[in-house]
Amino acid sequence: MHSIYARFNGLSALWSTCIVALLAAIALSSFVFTANTDGKIDVVSLKVFNTKAKRYPYKESELAFVKFNITADLRPLFHWNTKQLFVYLEAEYTNAQGVNNSVVLWDRIVRRKEDAYISQSSRNKYKFRELSESFKNVSPAEFSLKYNVMPYVGVLTYGEAGRTTGFDMPEALDAVS
Amino acid sequence: MTYLQDLVEGKIDFHGEKKADDIVRIVLISSTVFSFVLGFALGSLRVTMGTFALSTLVLSLVVLPPWPMYNKHPVKWLPAQESPSKTK
Repeated sequence: MHSIYARFNGLSALWSTCIVALLAAIALSSFVFTANTDGKIDVVSLKVFNTKAKRYPYKESELAFVKFNITADLRPLFHWNTKQLFVYLEAEYTNAQGVNNSVVLWDRIVRRKEDAYISQSSRNKYKFRELSESFKNVSPAEFSLKYNVMPYVGVLTYGEAGRTTGFDMPEALDAVS
Repeated sequence: MTYLQDLVEGKIDFHGEKKADDIVRIVLISSTVFSFVLGFALGSLRVTMGTFALSTLVLSLVVLPPWPMYNKHPVKWLPAQESPSKTK
């Protein structure tokens, strides 16, 4: 360790090991925190309309529109290693062919603990469409509010804040002209 | 020119080497533990990274430059000899 360079070399070697150990400890510390999240989902209205498919004006397609009220207190999820929360509302059902579908209807990125109290009364942000173009003979749809905790260092964790009972998909109406 | 070279080299003696090495090892490991505990207690990752960065900076200021405390035991060189007679 005669020269500055040699001392710096030794210092940086142990320093990188220490940094890795510190980050591993921070990632592991996420498992210590448990949070009890409760949420409520109210489906105000659920309607299905006959529309023309996007980009194929000759093809008929059914689009569903959901109006909902969601409340959830996700503030306990914010600990020192939480960077942001990804909260999303999903509709889950099994279609006539027996395939399970989960459609994301609404989502939000929450970056601060103060913003983590979700109280939202709105309609679906994204198109609620069935790949086989029709909601006929589809199982009752359950709506669930899920969240994804994104840490600064570590593994992504998922959870569910609330779930509704099954809602039968109504008959398709012709769109109001 | 040699002044610049000496400045960049920053030579310290052997006892100073050991002292510097000990300081680095102790300070780095303890500051890792301390910054984790402090940040965890205060619930802020910024506190952890900040204290660790600050202690690294202070450590490099203490260890990298050739301070006089690292030159307390200079190497005692033997007096210069005449060119040795070769005996085969």
